[in-house]
Amino acid sequence: MRALYQQAIDQHRHRVLSFARYSLRVREDAEDVTQEVFIKLWQHWQKIDHEKLGAWLMRVAHNSVIDHVRKQRPQQTNLDQYAEVEDQVGEESDAAQLDQQHFKSQLQTAIKSLEDPFRSIVIMRDIQGMSYEDIQGSLELSASQVKVYLHRARRKLRENSKLRQLFEEQIANRSEVKQPIALVANNDKGSGHVQ
Amino acid sequence: MSSNGESKCYFIQLQIDGYLDGDLSEAQQGGFMSHVQDCAACATEFRYAQTMHDAVMELPQIECEDFVLEPVHSLTAAGRPKHDEVSRDSLVTQIAGLLNTVPLYFRFGFSAALVAVVAVAVTFTGLTPTDEPGQQVASEPVEQFSQEDVALALQELNVAIDYLNQLSQRTEVMIGDRFLVTPLQDSINASFERARNRENDSFQNGPI
Repeated sequence: MRALYQQAIDQHRHRVLSFARYSLRVREDAEDVTQEVFIKLWQHWQKIDHEKLGAWLMRVAHNSVIDHVRKQRPQQTNLDQYAEVEDQVGEESDAAQLDQQHFKSQLQTAIKSLEDPFRSIVIMRDIQGMSYEDIQGSLELSASQVKVYLHRARRKLRENSKLRQLFEEQIANRSEVKQPIALVANNDKGSGHVQ
Repeated sequence: MSSNGESKCYFIQLQIDGYLDGDLSEAQQGGFMSHVQDCAACATEFRYAQTMHDAVMELPQIECEDFVLEPVHSLTAAGRPKHDEVSRDSLVTQIAGLLNTVPLYFRFGFSAALVAVVAVAVTFTGLTPTDEPGQQVASEPVEQFSQEDVALALQELNVAIDYLNQLSQRTEVMIGDRFLVTPLQDSINASFERARNRENDSFQNGPI
């Protein structure tokens, strides 16, 4: 049993932590959520349908994240934004790279500020590349609900004024180099992510 | 831009997510692409959506370091989960599930019967003499009484019995007088009175 348990941890630990980290403003809260999830897995090991273990873990993570979101203090936002920028910038100091990193940092903040289930669906589908079926099982929603909420969540992100402003600044900076629009359907979403 | 063009742009921009997800048919993709290439506003909107989409998908999966799960390992290193709790929970759940499937009156009846059986069992257990009374006596401290104490206690007991007998007799007399003797006497007297009256009447009226 211990070997199977360790195997389950190894298989799902990154996905659980990522989900919590992109959902919560504080790193320690995300780590707490991850610990809670795997302790609950240990406690409920014999009751779980192990064929749907991934969906069960993400459901527990989702519920735990909601509990932590309720407990989050508003003043933690700004501190965490700076921490994310520092994490993302790294050593490269190219202006374009900085713009892009700043955009991604703002994007993460915008995702965290989304309400549930929009936030969870964007993270699960667009960041973690989970299938619609797994998302349905994790959030206990229908397939049509997942698709509708995903489109609404993307629209909400696009309506974010800070992101829009950053995008327009980037376009203005590159206006001298006019790029053709790449009209390629992005069908392989989620590729490269751990399933 | 005309209202027709605005509605066309609105419709095209609604399709952006579908295009990025590859959910549009070939015909829809053709119409979408031809409009975006001709319309600057929709082209900007599409580029913004594509930038956002790519940026979200490029966000990395965050590695879960070993130290994050150290508390979990230390907690689970103690052994297996508590099976007793699990089995007790499952038993209670099973009973609850079973009771939920039967009608309401049966649930109440079953509960009442269960309580009655327990009450009877407890009663009989308390009344049943032990096989070895000596053990029960021996287990309690024995108080020693002298013969005088016993005689005095018997005397008090007899006085109490006499008092209860007198009380019983008085109560019996009261009850008898009130509910038996007095109504009976009244009834007999009334009968005599009616008989006497009939005699007087027959003398007064004479034979028909």
